[in-house]
Amino acid sequence: MSLLSPLFLVALAGLAIPVLVHLIQREKKRVVQFPSLMFLQRIPYSSVRRRRVHNWLLLLVRLTALALLVLAFARPFLRRGELPLSAAGSREVVVLLDQSYSMGYGDRWEKARAAARTVVKGLTAGDRASLVLFSSDGTVAVRATQDHAQLLSAIDAARVADGATRFGPALKLAATLLGESTQPRRDAVLISDFQRNGWQGGEPVYLPQGAELRTVPVEETRAQPNAAVVAVSMARSTFAEQERVTVTAGLRNYADTPLTAADVKLELSGRAIQTERVTVPARGSASVSFAPITVNQPQLRASVRLAADGLAQDNVRYFIVAPRSPVPVLVVDASGGAGAGSLYVLRALSIGESPAFAVTVRTPDAVSDDVLGKAAVVVLNDVSLQAGLASRLAAFVGRGGGLLVAAGPRASWPGSQAALLPAALAGAVDRTRGEAARLGAVEYGHPLFELFRAARSGDFSSAQFYGFRQLTPAAGAAVLARFDAGAPALVEQGVGRGHVLLWASSLDLSWNDLALKPVYLPFIHRAVRHLAMYAESTPWETVGQVLDPARLNPREALQPSIALAPSGARAPVGGKDDGVLVLAEQGFYEVRAAKAGAEGVAVAANVDVAESDLDTMDPRALLAAAVASGGVASATPAAPPTPEAQERTQRLWWYLLLAGLLLLGVDTVFSNRLSRA
Amino acid sequence: MDGAAALPGARFVDPAVLARIGNIDLVAKIIVDGFINGMHRAPFFGASVDFAEHRGYVPGDDVRRIDWRVFARTDRFYVKEYEADTNANFSVLLDVSKSMGFGSRGITKLEYASILTGCLTNLAHRQRDRVGLVTFDDDIVEHVPPSAKHMDTVLHVLDRIEPRKAGRLDVPLRKLAEHFARRGILVVISDFYEEPEAVVEAITPLRFRGNDVMVFHLLDPAEVDFTYTDAMSFEDLETGVQMPIVPDALRKEYKAMVQAHIEALRKRFSETRIDYAFFDTSKPLDYALFSFLTMRERMMRTR
Repeated sequence: MSLLSPLFLVALAGLAIPVLVHLIQREKKRVVQFPSLMFLQRIPYSSVRRRRVHNWLLLLVRLTALALLVLAFARPFLRRGELPLSAAGSREVVVLLDQSYSMGYGDRWEKARAAARTVVKGLTAGDRASLVLFSSDGTVAVRATQDHAQLLSAIDAARVADGATRFGPALKLAATLLGESTQPRRDAVLISDFQRNGWQGGEPVYLPQGAELRTVPVEETRAQPNAAVVAVSMARSTFAEQERVTVTAGLRNYADTPLTAADVKLELSGRAIQTERVTVPARGSASVSFAPITVNQPQLRASVRLAADGLAQDNVRYFIVAPRSPVPVLVVDASGGAGAGSLYVLRALSIGESPAFAVTVRTPDAVSDDVLGKAAVVVLNDVSLQAGLASRLAAFVGRGGGLLVAAGPRASWPGSQAALLPAALAGAVDRTRGEAARLGAVEYGHPLFELFRAARSGDFSSAQFYGFRQLTPAAGAAVLARFDAGAPALVEQGVGRGHVLLWASSLDLSWNDLALKPVYLPFIHRAVRHLAMYAESTPWETVGQVLDPARLNPREALQPSIALAPSGARAPVGGKDDGVLVLAEQGFYEVRAAKAGAEGVAVAANVDVAESDLDTMDPRALLAAAVASGGVASATPAAPPTPEAQERTQRLWWYLLLAGLLLLGVDTVFSNRLSRA
Repeated sequence: MDGAAALPGARFVDPAVLARIGNIDLVAKIIVDGFINGMHRAPFFGASVDFAEHRGYVPGDDVRRIDWRVFARTDRFYVKEYEADTNANFSVLLDVSKSMGFGSRGITKLEYASILTGCLTNLAHRQRDRVGLVTFDDDIVEHVPPSAKHMDTVLHVLDRIEPRKAGRLDVPLRKLAEHFARRGILVVISDFYEEPEAVVEAITPLRFRGNDVMVFHLLDPAEVDFTYTDAMSFEDLETGVQMPIVPDALRKEYKAMVQAHIEALRKRFSETRIDYAFFDTSKPLDYALFSFLTMRERMMRTR
């Protein structure tokens, strides 16, 4: 049954009126003061209560009458073919089997597989079933088959994965599979340990109409100890000019019994080098610090391992220890750093921890290939460039280097390498007379200026520019900042794999006072970081995350790349150019370019620590969220009904109205009699 | 015992009318004057200085009380004994609890009791008795010790009384029982909304020091006959508890209970030799005065 004008149901709020009237009248009812109720209270109460019951009856009659009237106005009608799907007929069943790593706890996985087998064995010959294995996302192991043996063997072959529980993707997959089915009955069976972390709630899951979701919670027979290495932090120090890292592991005990004298091992490249003994209180945390280790290779594979317990995957945490790598910057200056021209740039680059900058200063003549080869970014600070150096710089940028050109009063560029510059250099504009120029428009969307985007995060307009070079941006170059009159102040262009930034003024005080403004240092830092394509390296990733191999080493092309999973198998890396790697296993992945002799990059993948918490949720929360959507039912539309038939289906309101009026009449008689009594 | 009707010349004024006068002194005078005028030949009036008997002298008796004439005749010492002292202590113990503030016909029980107290005090004062007044609810509220000069004070207190608190008998009356050491006449006026046992328990100690105790049980006609008709909430004046009541359904049982209460009080008081009189506020005051005097008379006769 549906309603033609459901908005009228709002009038049901009117039901409160008789109740209010009743209450108000009760309040207003005459109260007579009597010296003592001593005797009245002794009389059995029944005569008093009967009167109240009468009143409730009256109230009930009134409420019912009102509700009927409102319903009549809402125009209920019967929808043809609104019959429930017949219980008979073959079924489409989707078995959702949770393979998140928490299922490996105790005998959960065996029980879950047994439950799945029971479901499959309960199918009749005409029934079709699919098997979906899911953790952080779902995969269809067997798609809609009547071959029950295939399903059973797929269940036998299924293994616990390293992912965390996520019900949302699995249920959506089930909805898709059921939606595609033409079977009259459609069921989804969700077999899981129903971890609380697997369902954030909020998003509804639309199952096709008539589809039913059944939950099968599995529980371990016996609680076992469960502790996890939840975090690893690295404190860096320098000792005898060597960088050392102190590893501290955070442990958490999820069990109700304390973890006593457990061994925690620090492993480097697969070898245990230190073992500490630790006690973690029940439902508590502890931390273990290991002796400092010296970092002597670019990527040291390390892990912290805890003694085995009920849940194995969370007992180890893999991470990469990499030495701190300062960004090498070559500053080219006419005076070789002796003059005041590069004072501010050098001072700005000498400050900074993440990243630190390793600055080399050279005169244009002293820039050797060796020096250039080591640099990630070259800053040309107001120099007049010869064609030879310009062509070497072009090659440098093409390999992925960054170039910042500050076009001060002395700067010039050889015409042969004009393509390298994002804009053509023209004459200087003198603004010493009249009002100085200011930076007017800044592209805050650009990574260079993103830091300054928020309000009060740096004011570029306070700097005064007394002179700048007129720039004519090349096609394809981006103007990142302009002076107030619209002249370009900062222009960027990508050349090869690198970038070139052209600054239209000086980086010292000769043409502007930007170097005295608070924004100067972050501006220089951001510019150099951007040009160096610097990205903070993360010691580990989480299973389930998607990794872009291009991000691992931006300056050296890893595309197309090959990835080796921790298990030794070759992990699939997606398409040719936009290939991404889905981290599905716990351990160290090795990614390298698909060419002979290419050096690999190690990536540590850890399980989601949230999955270690075995607290369960009420499966009914999922059932409540899995609502049946109205439009998915694939019934073929019938011919439009005749007006008479239509009227017949809508005639219900008429009876409701009549019943409501009748009840009102009864109410009048009833209340009259009651007030007379 | 509607003996008042036989009383010639007694003025049966509706108490509700008297209540409108407001001046208790005046009202008391009107009533008592009329009362006395009407019964001045009656055989009951006054006997307080009457000689009662002789008894043998015992050492310790005041030698001045020896009847020398008898000694002369009989050669033995006899002492003269009299009936009650002419100036007896007369105190009214008046319940001023909230329930006494109830009245359904123009006069509350408390107003009625005040006028009655005024009349009784006036009457006693004219007999040269020392008059006093105690008002109480759950404790003693006002205390005017008996004195020949306290007539005005008593009237003043009566004029000011107001029902303020819920009442109880045991606490104030126990205090008073210890206080009234000297023999006298005590009149307790209350509506006695307590269990008969508890009421008698509370009042009996007043007799222990030889006081003559009279109990006036005062109720409003509405409390006795339960004349309400409409269904409504009844609120207890003392506790504030409300209760929805259909009077028609309860009247019979209620009336029976009140009557049973009155009968129980009457019986228990007669067992403890305390004079008990019940009347409602529709009864003229003369009736109450008459019953008072009848009681006193009986008290003397039976001694």
